[in-house]
Amino acid sequence: MLYGFIQIDTMTTYTKDFELLDPVKFPKGKKRKADSGTEKGNVSAEKLVKIQIPSTLKKQLVDDWEFITQQNKLVKLPRSPTVDDILTKYLEYRSKKDGMMTDSVGEILNGIRCYFDKALPVILLYKKERQQYHEAVSDNVSPSSVYGAEHLLRLFVKLPELLAYVKIEEETLIRLQQKLLDFLRFLQKNQGTFFLSAYDGPKASEGSGKDKES
Amino acid sequence: MGQKSGANDKGTEEDGMSVHSPCKPSSSALRKELSPVDLEIRLLEALETYPLSKLSGMHRHFVLYSLTEYLQRSFNRQFTPDDVLQLLDRFYNLEMMKPDDEDAEILNQEEDFCLPQSYFLKEES
Repeated sequence: MLYGFIQIDTMTTYTKDFELLDPVKFPKGKKRKADSGTEKGNVSAEKLVKIQIPSTLKKQLVDDWEFITQQNKLVKLPRSPTVDDILTKYLEYRSKKDGMMTDSVGEILNGIRCYFDKALPVILLYKKERQQYHEAVSDNVSPSSVYGAEHLLRLFVKLPELLAYVKIEEETLIRLQQKLLDFLRFLQKNQGTFFLSAYDGPKASEGSGKDKES
Repeated sequence: MGQKSGANDKGTEEDGMSVHSPCKPSSSALRKELSPVDLEIRLLEALETYPLSKLSGMHRHFVLYSLTEYLQRSFNRQFTPDDVLQLLDRFYNLEMMKPDDEDAEILNQEEDFCLPQSYFLKEES
């Protein structure tokens, strides 16, 4: 499914296009500011960036879903490596490959971290994980220092929607997409060490005792 | 304004710009070789697409990245995000920026994570 923002001229935005979009996230009647597209006079359609998640990572997400929603298990926190660790490792890996000129990559990674910290408690948790979140993350603790690859990967499922707010021009979006893909391949390459193959089971005492919300 | 002509590597929109040498990654390249007027014009152009208000919300890193890419393409030379921040700082007071309200919109409402159906289907990809 493609979501399109169509800007034909600088003064009007076509709010009827919002019908294409999820009504919760893009409520009708919320007019966007009249910002001009870069292709003046042309129709510039800004699409959601497509993030192609490698198949083994997709399977990881399905396993993740299975553990949590079907088997009532949880990721053991705090994780190692954390999201912070992983982003740092990636930057090191890229620096070795590229020499200098990793500044843009660094900016993207900061962006990912920023999104992760904001988004985790809001849109990245399964219902059954909320209690654990409140226990593990207090006010001055960033989620990126507690959670790891499992939850970071979920961010990538939501990333296109988050990025839509920036309204990035097509050329830049293509380059960004490549960089994000490279990061995902890095995760895939290190899948064995970054991701848990087993989650913590429900406590031995069955029933109400330590029951997490279901 | 210190504009020099000649020795242009590329024949594109090089008016008022001098190109001493191939792309220099350091920010000192900004002061030596690009006319301040060109810089400001391109920056203003870039800000039409990437408004300043988005530079203080949660999207700021991607906005800055996009601005950097824009300027790199416009001038056909390397910029770092820090270069761009310095430039912006020259012309604007970034601390005065209030975050875009739309910024918070997608994260207004708590929503349980849901893995899209497509992940459960067997795909060749």
